[in-house]
Amino acid sequence: MTAHTPSAAQTVLVEDIARVVEDVPGVAFLRPGLAARLRSALSRPDPGAGRTPTAGVRLTPGADDTAGWHVDVHVVVVRRARAVDVARAVRSAVETHLALRFPARPGARVRVTITGQV
Amino acid sequence: MAGARRPTAPPEADGGTGDTGVTADALLVVRAAEGDEDAFATLVQRHAPALLRLATRMLRTPAEAEDAVQDAFLSAWRRLPEFQGEASFGTWMYRIVTNRCLNVLRARRPVAPLEAAGEVPAAEHATSPARITEGRDAVRELRDALDLLSAEQRACWVLRELDGRSYEFIADAVGISQEAVRARVFRARRCLTRALGAWR
Amino acid sequence: MTTHTDPPEGARADGDDESLPCGRPLSRVWDDWERQTDDPHTATCPHCRTAVDDLALLESAVRGLREETPDPSAHDAEPLTRRVMDLVRLELRPGRPLPLGEPAEDLWIMETVAARVLRAAAETVEGVRAGSCRIVDADGHEGGAVEVRLDIHAPADAALRPLAERVRQRVREAADRELGLVTASVDIRVTDLVDVRAEGREGDTA
Repeated sequence: MTAHTPSAAQTVLVEDIARVVEDVPGVAFLRPGLAARLRSALSRPDPGAGRTPTAGVRLTPGADDTAGWHVDVHVVVVRRARAVDVARAVRSAVETHLALRFPARPGARVRVTITGQV
Repeated sequence: MAGARRPTAPPEADGGTGDTGVTADALLVVRAAEGDEDAFATLVQRHAPALLRLATRMLRTPAEAEDAVQDAFLSAWRRLPEFQGEASFGTWMYRIVTNRCLNVLRARRPVAPLEAAGEVPAAEHATSPARITEGRDAVRELRDALDLLSAEQRACWVLRELDGRSYEFIADAVGISQEAVRARVFRARRCLTRALGAWR
Repeated sequence: MTTHTDPPEGARADGDDESLPCGRPLSRVWDDWERQTDDPHTATCPHCRTAVDDLALLESAVRGLREETPDPSAHDAEPLTRRVMDLVRLELRPGRPLPLGEPAEDLWIMETVAARVLRAAAETVEGVRAGSCRIVDADGHEGGAVEVRLDIHAPADAALRPLAERVRQRVREAADRELGLVTASVDIRVTDLVDVRAEGREGDTA
């Protein structure tokens, strides 16, 4: 079983993208992962408090270094913002970030899913 | 109000549909069944107090009562998509909580009767029935005597006597015939009158 | 004088009823008392009186016990509600993703999130309450558009056709302005009429 194990560099990149996404106006937070929700259900303090949770970002590298990234983002947005506008802003923020980091690569494919409103 | 049987508000009355400010249970149930957890939260808030009271009366330990109600709500959330609304949400929840409590009581049975029997020496009552008067003593003895009942007797009796439900309602909640409910309440009463020493 | 006395079915079936010295089954005496049935025999028979007194004594202790359980309004259900909802959030049913914006933008919103917004929009029409709200991909559209099917409760005194039209309008507007969801159609179904004048009915269990 060779489950896809992200490299350390990729983990850092996911954290970067998560921060970029959470800075987009209208984004409340990334969809919390199961671990965070379990902690909440068990009323345990979050050991990763302070760090940006990354469960809402999935990053799939292209077939090789010349292919573009595929990014899947799940976010909870604020109610007063128009959902599609926030989704577009998230997409373009992620695209811009990756274009700056990997200028040689082709553009990333970014899918954004809104999983909640607060 | 001697002898007055004041039933608690029947669950059917919950979420009256006429009010413009309050969303009826039936609508919240549909929304929750479609995955709207906010609607479910409103239902939980609305029904938790009455269900907690029911479970506390059945089990008498607040921690167990809270667990029973919590489990019942979680099970309701899972089963909502199949809930066809053949009963009101309140009645449905009553049924689920009653069943949870029955399971807890059944699991308790092997230990309880022996302990309880020790606390309520029948012989003492038989020799001095006169000492049983109204007031705190009788209430405490009644509380102890409840442990002498079978799980089913206790559930039916609590629903009838403490919750003021009709036999029809109890039959529905427990899932047995009205005749069976009457028989259980009867046996519970006989057991309790004896335990209270009122028996000849 | 009746020699034929019918105990309640259940007690007889259980075979553990007992008869008082006067011949009456105990279950019947108590049953009559509970139903407040007037019976010349019970009124005069000392055995029946004793049996009824026993039950009355029990009932007085029961009243004491009943008062011991705190009033449900005194019960703080808030912590319980929070715990239940924390657990529920581990098992959400968000529905299917629906396309936002232009076709092939690859932007999505989960059905339950969109449905909540559209129900709220419907309820901005006076007296309207929203129930089921299903949102599905519209047939024949190349991605992008959705069909909305919304059930509402309407005020009994409202003219339904204009009311449904207003609701449809609000839903369309909200789908566009608040979400960016393109609606191919919005079907409004009135499933119940509500008498809005019946006010003061609280939806509370207390």
